[in-house]
Amino acid sequence: MGRELSTGVPDRTDFYVTVAAMVMIALWTTLAGLYGARARSTSDFLWASRTVGPRWNAAAVSGEYLSAASFLGIAGLVFKGGVDALWYPVGFTAGYLALLLFVAAPLRRSGAYTLPDFAELRLGSARLRKICTAFVIIIGWLYLVPQLQGAGLTVHAVTEAPQWVGAAVVMVIVTFNIYTGWTHSITLVQAFQYWIKLTALAIPVFVLLIHYAGEDPGFRNSLSASAPPSFSQATDVTPDHDVVLHVTKPMRVMVVGTPDGRPTKGTMPLAPGENRVAKGTTLHFDAGSRVPVISGAVVDNDTWLCPLSRGQRSLLATYSLIVALLLGTMGLPQVLGRYYTDPDGRAARRTTQLVLALLGLFYLLPMASGWLARLYLPRLLVDGNTDAALLLLPRAALGGWPALLLGGLIAAGAFAAFVSAATALVVCVAGGLSTDVLPSRLQDFRAATLVAWSVPLAFVLAVSPLDLAQGVGLAFAVAASSFCPLLVLGIWWRGLTDTGAAAGILAGGGLAFAAVLPAAVGVLPPGWQAVLAQPAAFTVPLAFLTMVVVSRRTRDRVPTDVSRILLRLHAPDRLGLSEDREVGQLGTRIWRAAAALSRIRGGRHRR
Amino acid sequence: MSTTEPVGGVGRRSVVGVGNRPVGGTDSRPLVDPWAAAHTSTEFAVLRNRLRGFVFPMTTFFLAWYFLYVLLAAFAPHFMAIRIVGNINVGLVFGLLQFVTTFAIATIYVRFANRHLDPVGSRIREQVEGGTW
Repeated sequence: MGRELSTGVPDRTDFYVTVAAMVMIALWTTLAGLYGARARSTSDFLWASRTVGPRWNAAAVSGEYLSAASFLGIAGLVFKGGVDALWYPVGFTAGYLALLLFVAAPLRRSGAYTLPDFAELRLGSARLRKICTAFVIIIGWLYLVPQLQGAGLTVHAVTEAPQWVGAAVVMVIVTFNIYTGWTHSITLVQAFQYWIKLTALAIPVFVLLIHYAGEDPGFRNSLSASAPPSFSQATDVTPDHDVVLHVTKPMRVMVVGTPDGRPTKGTMPLAPGENRVAKGTTLHFDAGSRVPVISGAVVDNDTWLCPLSRGQRSLLATYSLIVALLLGTMGLPQVLGRYYTDPDGRAARRTTQLVLALLGLFYLLPMASGWLARLYLPRLLVDGNTDAALLLLPRAALGGWPALLLGGLIAAGAFAAFVSAATALVVCVAGGLSTDVLPSRLQDFRAATLVAWSVPLAFVLAVSPLDLAQGVGLAFAVAASSFCPLLVLGIWWRGLTDTGAAAGILAGGGLAFAAVLPAAVGVLPPGWQAVLAQPAAFTVPLAFLTMVVVSRRTRDRVPTDVSRILLRLHAPDRLGLSEDREVGQLGTRIWRAAAALSRIRGGRHRR
Repeated sequence: MSTTEPVGGVGRRSVVGVGNRPVGGTDSRPLVDPWAAAHTSTEFAVLRNRLRGFVFPMTTFFLAWYFLYVLLAAFAPHFMAIRIVGNINVGLVFGLLQFVTTFAIATIYVRFANRHLDPVGSRIREQVEGGTW
């Protein structure tokens, strides 16, 4: 069995299988784009016509929402942090519950297709609209960074190509999609994407679980032993960045290679506490030796299986994370438009209910694979590349052709997820850029698309990034601290004013952004990790408080037609509202851009 | 918003509110803004109270439930570490239950909205569109 082969040049077959799988995904999205180009009218490109049922639409929403960064990241975090990492999938799912209870139906009735549209429609301020657009762009960029990072990691894990290759390939496909077909908007395509992702993950995980069930009980039960994981066979590990390793009992490791590449023979003592290992050092572990783990990972298996194993210090961080994920989902720029695909509020609610089921079902898979990785891939705990756990798992557990096929399937599924999530995000960011930011002579959706992805791409190349799921968490923290208060107060409180909303967004969202920036850049002092990397527990209340206080002090700015707007938000569907849907600039702009693009492609589309 | 509505309407930027138009043209009563009237009506108050009466307690409940898990994990680690079967302990089951409750709450809300919110909403709609106000 090829379990725990040391890192080295991968088998060529592996390379071909994976590349073939990725090419298939690229072809699939291209074909979908061509299908999209034949859609019945231009508006079909934006929000596919409202004829699909809640089941399809729920699959489409889930397909768009499940970014590979989140599911690779969850597998990696469960692997490293154990049961604590359950909060990410629970939070991603519960965020939809908050969306359903507080904002889904009213937002749908408002007629706003984007968050800045909503702000302008509710409070009638162009200045507020600009601020909202800025935050759409910030959140979109923060969310794109882990997507690109994950794409780079996926391609690197299977082909050893440099990290930037995967990121660049995804961006090329995304740009092609946007220029030709706007695939993200076609409901059926997105719905298929969900089932592709689920299949691509479910088959490998089930095969691996069956394989695990057939292992001898001693090996199986070591997962809950009161000891660190151990190497099941001799393994060489070469971290590609400096790592800090933790052990509970002193141990010695054999060093067989130095950073400058000279072969060497020697041992290195690891004392309880922190042990620094320079990148490029090759460590040799004999079969059965204990696994030292990188900082942030749980050392012993039995504590790994218990929540909050890192002690009560992580209590605050956990609260903060729950707040960010629960309240951040409603503020994500790409989520809003999907609700227009449902014919009425009743169907929209049904869609959300199904989305919760589909997301819960899906997230079980990365959790299970994080669990298996603890047994089969302990070397990733040494080199810190835990986000690659899901991708490398089949090779580590099975070996041979099954591993190749299953590994290819996972990589292709992840790639599909990068493409769909990144497309939705780039469209939102480019929409904001072209409407409110770029100088008017550059108000071209195509140019904006390039700007929309080049900034996060440059960021990924420049800084050594966080774990994927943590990176995603930063975007949620900013969304929860800026748009959540705007939506909740805007929908539920008549007293909100444009000045209050702007002050709240700037205070909460701005502070959250300032706090996560050091984490995103990777210069976080360790002691501040809990507060800065996940600031939502402070910044969300701050945003709400600022909005309420400033609105109270600027009472004269409450819109005069607030009754009419609030009735529109809360009264039932079809209140004669189809006649006067006010859609702000951005919706109009995106629509025009779509129209322009479709004219370029041969003018097949009627208005 | 009906299914038959042309989706191309996205591009229009119409600010003509229905409220500015007379409703029930043959009516000789002085013109009343039906929106303001509907907004202050008892029906709308019922709708709003029912919605709030459901959403706010339910939110309190699910937040309490999530935080209970975190508190148990922090202050009752031995309870969370009790093994149920094989490698599966109480903490893990508790974590997975969070998914179940999230879905359950959504289901309860959908039923509640279909039974108790939509009928009131429909009555308001009929009244506004029928020109009762």
